Amino acid sequence: MSRLDWFVLASALLFVVLWGLWKGRGATTGEGYIGGGRDHRWWLIGLSIIATQTSAITFLSTPGQAYVDGMRFVQFYFGLPLAAVVLSVTLLPLYHRLKVSTAYELLEARFDLKTRLLAAILFLIQRGLAVGLTIFAPALVLSVLLGWSLHVNILIVGVLVMIYTVTGGTKAVAWAHSSQMVIIACGMLLAGVMTAHRLPAEVSFGDALHVAGGLGRLNVIDTHFDPNNRYNLWSGLIGGFFLMLSYFGTDQSQVQRYLAGSDLTQSRLGLLMNAMIKVPMQFLILLLGALVFVFYQFHAPPLFFNPGPVKQVLAGPDAAAYRATEAKFAQARTSQSRKAEAYVSARHSGDAASIAAAKHQLSQSHAESEAIRREGLALIEKANPGTNPSDTNYIFLAYVLSSLPVGLVGLVIAAVFSGSMSSMSGEISALGATTVVDLWRRLVGGSQGQREVWVGRIATFAWGCFAMAFAEYAARLGSLIEAVNILGSLFYGTILGIFITAFYVKRVRGGTAFYAALVAEVGVLACFKFTAISFLWYNLIGCAAVVLLAWAFSFFQPRQALPEGEPAT
Amino acid sequence: MPMTEPAPPLLGSWKRLYALVLGELLLCILLFRLFSWAFS
Repeated sequence: MSRLDWFVLASALLFVVLWGLWKGRGATTGEGYIGGGRDHRWWLIGLSIIATQTSAITFLSTPGQAYVDGMRFVQFYFGLPLAAVVLSVTLLPLYHRLKVSTAYELLEARFDLKTRLLAAILFLIQRGLAVGLTIFAPALVLSVLLGWSLHVNILIVGVLVMIYTVTGGTKAVAWAHSSQMVIIACGMLLAGVMTAHRLPAEVSFGDALHVAGGLGRLNVIDTHFDPNNRYNLWSGLIGGFFLMLSYFGTDQSQVQRYLAGSDLTQSRLGLLMNAMIKVPMQFLILLLGALVFVFYQFHAPPLFFNPGPVKQVLAGPDAAAYRATEAKFAQARTSQSRKAEAYVSARHSGDAASIAAAKHQLSQSHAESEAIRREGLALIEKANPGTNPSDTNYIFLAYVLSSLPVGLVGLVIAAVFSGSMSSMSGEISALGATTVVDLWRRLVGGSQGQREVWVGRIATFAWGCFAMAFAEYAARLGSLIEAVNILGSLFYGTILGIFITAFYVKRVRGGTAFYAALVAEVGVLACFKFTAISFLWYNLIGCAAVVLLAWAFSFFQPRQALPEGEPAT
Repeated sequence: MPMTEPAPPLLGSWKRLYALVLGELLLCILLFRLFSWAFS
């Protein structure tokens, strides 16, 4: 990186930390520290919600996803607007009416303490492990591509986040989120504009889209129903709906963002703002990936974008075979570039027969290149047994480092750090809040004054240290990382099922929901272990299992009057 | 929803705002479908 890139990176990160510290100063009570003073406006809530769910790996991986697989990943988010509307009508009014600080407080009012603790502990387990990966995954990409130390990367992100999160709590997190979203938006927008600009002069934006579409990279909507297919319209609308319902309705890292709203209107508007922005935003990030794909139709890409596993092959007995495959791939890609140019020329000629013939030749050439790439991947897999030979997370940053101008590289890397910091800060702040409100305040007791601020700071600091320690350990997990990545879906369905039971199955009381949740969780874990069902469906399965089991178990519970103050449905 | 609930600052009612959110999703799906079809 050049000096200008370093300057941009350092300035952006310093600004985020100082802005968060400045805006988050003055919390003197537990409520002020955990609830952010409950004075946030809708736009701040909306930005904070988006920033919490936008981790660095989201936008390192998303363009790579479009490069490798096309744009169908956007369907994953189709359940979000549906979930946001349902939550605005049902849960948000209740949270505000009961003035809760965490989502799980509601469950004690409706059921009992052990159900509240079960939901809180499930959240602490899954979010506590996931937050480590939130900082590990981008740190790994940066360390491989830039040669930076993985440990230093993790340490920088962790320490910067903890400076303002531990000091200022929810308010500092929300304001830091607003600055991080500006950095992320500027970085991605400028990268997109520059990518379109760097295409050959004779290739217009429309031509670029035709090249990407002709090679299957603009397959945004897939209406074919297949439960084993991770991204199609139905898994996005149905499975995604339950995932988003659970994430935005019962995951404290999101609930805490909108509970900081000054009133119900601000909280609702913040959540709906996120619902309206997220789908187009993901579409644009995927489109950036498709443009990078087109860029590499006219410029030579490496056979594999992650240099780490390539080094392993080159150090082993298959080095010569890999070199030969690389040479074959380079030759095939040169031929493919000529076919791409011919396709663009044919499009400019306007002759339908020439266009069809050129498109066919380009597709054929692309298929040949992909076949050679698969040969290379097989060699990589052989040299790195037990690892997934995927370079999806490396494509975008490798492109940025090799092809974008000085200054913009620093800004995009600042955006990567901002993404990492934004999700980590939202998550450790929520973990700290749940530890204080659902465990310390409920089981140990105490005032909500200055003492609770310090307990909150200690809990947030402890979770930050745990996240950094887990991120260090994640390097040794290997293929288990994928399992940890889908951890959310293993628990979200059960947590959501408890909340839906609380709302809609009035005959169910305390212990019944608790035991139904335990049985359902075992069922979800069995699905993960013994079936090929795509992880998005675990949310639906877990949720439905809790509701149905709780309903069935309720016929065997002792007869008792419904408690007063039960949530209205 | 309670009767006293204040209206949102735009569109006059929450129902209309929810319709806008869901309408945008529907529009996105239709446009994405059209986009896929136009450039495939």
